[in-house]
Amino acid sequence: MTTQVLSKPRFRNPFAGMTLRQRFYLIAVLLLLPAIALRVFTSFYPFIQTLYLSTQRFNPAYPPQKFIGLGNFERLADDPVVQASIGFTVLFVVVSTFFQIVFGLALAHLLNAPFRLRNVARTLSLIPWAIPMVIAALGFRWLFDDQFGMIPDVLRRVLGMDTRWLIDPQNAKVAIIAVNIWKSTPFVALVLLAGLQGISRDLYEAARVDGANWFTSLRYLTIPMLMPIIITTGMFMLVWQLAVFDLPFLMTGGGPGFSTTVMAQKIYLESNSLNYGYAASIGVVMVVIVAIVGAVGLFLFRRFDVSE
Amino acid sequence: MKKEKQIVQKGLSRRTFLKGTAGSIAAALASSGPGKFLTQGIYAPALIQQNNTVVFAIQEFAQPAIQSVLEKFESDTGLTVQLEGGPVSGNDMLTRYSPQFASGTSSVDLFSDADDSSPTFMRAGWVMPLDEIIPQETWDDFPPSMQDHIRGFLSIDDVPYRIPHEFAVGYFFNRQDLLDEKGLAIPTTWEELVEVGKEVTDAENDIWGTTDALIKPALLYVYVAYLTAQTGGKVFDFDEGTGEALQFLYDMIHTHKIFPETALNQDYTAQNELYMGDKVYFMRQWPFFQGVAEGNAEWYAPEKMVISLPPAGPAGSKSWIGGWGFSIPTYAPNPDGAKALIQYLTSPEVAPVLAEQQGFLLTPRYSILDALKDSGDELIAAMGLYAENNVFAPRAFHPRVAEAQTVVDDMASLFLTKQATLSEVLEQGKELIAALDE
Repeated sequence: MTTQVLSKPRFRNPFAGMTLRQRFYLIAVLLLLPAIALRVFTSFYPFIQTLYLSTQRFNPAYPPQKFIGLGNFERLADDPVVQASIGFTVLFVVVSTFFQIVFGLALAHLLNAPFRLRNVARTLSLIPWAIPMVIAALGFRWLFDDQFGMIPDVLRRVLGMDTRWLIDPQNAKVAIIAVNIWKSTPFVALVLLAGLQGISRDLYEAARVDGANWFTSLRYLTIPMLMPIIITTGMFMLVWQLAVFDLPFLMTGGGPGFSTTVMAQKIYLESNSLNYGYAASIGVVMVVIVAIVGAVGLFLFRRFDVSE
Repeated sequence: MKKEKQIVQKGLSRRTFLKGTAGSIAAALASSGPGKFLTQGIYAPALIQQNNTVVFAIQEFAQPAIQSVLEKFESDTGLTVQLEGGPVSGNDMLTRYSPQFASGTSSVDLFSDADDSSPTFMRAGWVMPLDEIIPQETWDDFPPSMQDHIRGFLSIDDVPYRIPHEFAVGYFFNRQDLLDEKGLAIPTTWEELVEVGKEVTDAENDIWGTTDALIKPALLYVYVAYLTAQTGGKVFDFDEGTGEALQFLYDMIHTHKIFPETALNQDYTAQNELYMGDKVYFMRQWPFFQGVAEGNAEWYAPEKMVISLPPAGPAGSKSWIGGWGFSIPTYAPNPDGAKALIQYLTSPEVAPVLAEQQGFLLTPRYSILDALKDSGDELIAAMGLYAENNVFAPRAFHPRVAEAQTVVDDMASLFLTKQATLSEVLEQGKELIAALDE
């Protein structure tokens, strides 16, 4: 095999006049460009556009588009549905995340204990998480149905509880949050299980020698060792669940009244009515809430030295 | 020489990759034709249609019936009709067509439009006025009650923008067999509804006088608007009549206990199951229930499904009507073809042929009622009965009807679940509707 190089280049090299350093930066920029473009078009541009729309009165069916400054935000401050949706969204996210962590930790402990068929148990525990949310929501809507549902029927027969679930505002909230906890706890447990497996058994042996019982081991050993993972997972669940839509929408349609309406559903309803300006302003409020959650997370990260 | 110029490459060099990428992008841009982008926008493919094609969007299940009458149209006009699957709900209509219409384009020439989306399209000027497109002979084919509906819900300032092809009305279905067993008559007024309801309700065994599907979104609105039509109120005004209707519904559920509270989370499937499970004596339901019941061959018998007039409220025996209709987008690529097609499909000669084949194309028109009067169809008979007794009430109109319906849904739900008083929901409802107009 012969290799021959042309004696004269056919084209003038456009980089001929550049230094090696300049070429290096040019190549770096070119290589970064696709990633930057992706972020610009999928994150930066939509965010800027949302901010812009939130200052507009914009419904394409009702032109003209008009700048109204903070008008949309003033309106949403008086909108009872938005107020209720912010309240329920925060309640949903905080309560769900708290119990997912608590139950997830308990489940992770169980799955970390040595017993026969442990691997089978670990696999089975993931089933709720693997079920698509839409199916779970529709299934639980029937399970909680006050006329035909299994859950009210069992509670009535076994405990004598005659409770209305999805037509009572408070009980509907409880039902939706309970389903969400059931659905996502296995995921949290899986992450915490990975953390548990990273804690050396020697530490528990040493603690036992020092007289620690199960609870003190949990309090002074397991939880501090898992704290970075707990905070990371908690932050992830908080932010992830802020955008919840499918579960409450399919279980109750946001009712009774608007007691289980979440912010994402309100955005959906406004977008479907082509009220893009107003929908964008609710989106901006969501971003602010996410930012607050993020700030709390950063504080906790530093408090527990997660970043170090 | 050729051999000398060959370069053996060990792999794709960075330089070659960059040159190749840039070249590919440039070639793609050049071949796309910047002129097309500039002049026709992102919906360019929709505009590249031959003038002899008419694109018609309607739900797929109705297409065989439409197809059956197209041969004559195509041979008479030389046009070709291309059928497309249309959206199945008003929300789908809005999300599919609004971006096109707002940008001054349309992918269809003619489409079947829903009640929930049509007012938005009309107000925005995205559909054509039909008063001069549809011949007077066709308009005259609709009975007076339908004329009110057309002038009310399908028009702006008496100019129609949509012509009905489907007819949805809440019929009052009675269990004549169960009533006969108890020696009771079908209730004809609200008072009788309550009286008979109390006679037959056995809540412990889940037997109810009446029920409906009141789950959000939208279904609660349907029933509240039905009762409000019977009080003579205007549901989007949250007026006295609306209050009376809400109070009556509240009393049926909580005071007289003839209507299960659980209906607040009930959809049409559950409602139908209750009826066919012999748990309900009478109920309002859409015409589709007739087909559902007849399909349940083990249970169905004609005496179990007697349709009577709705129990009369203060304003009489009323039931609001709605349904799908044909519209032509303002930016239809082939407006002349669309006009010819809509004239043909809605003509008194063709409409009965379509109605005979497909319930989605059945609406009260003299030509259709005449053609089908001897068919023995229960729904046709009921349609005649309701038309004779002037039961049909026009659907409540609001230019932002979907949002206004959501307000009614929310307010009614707050009241019926005891989260607010009647005066509070009427006041808040008025405020929220007023906010839509700003």
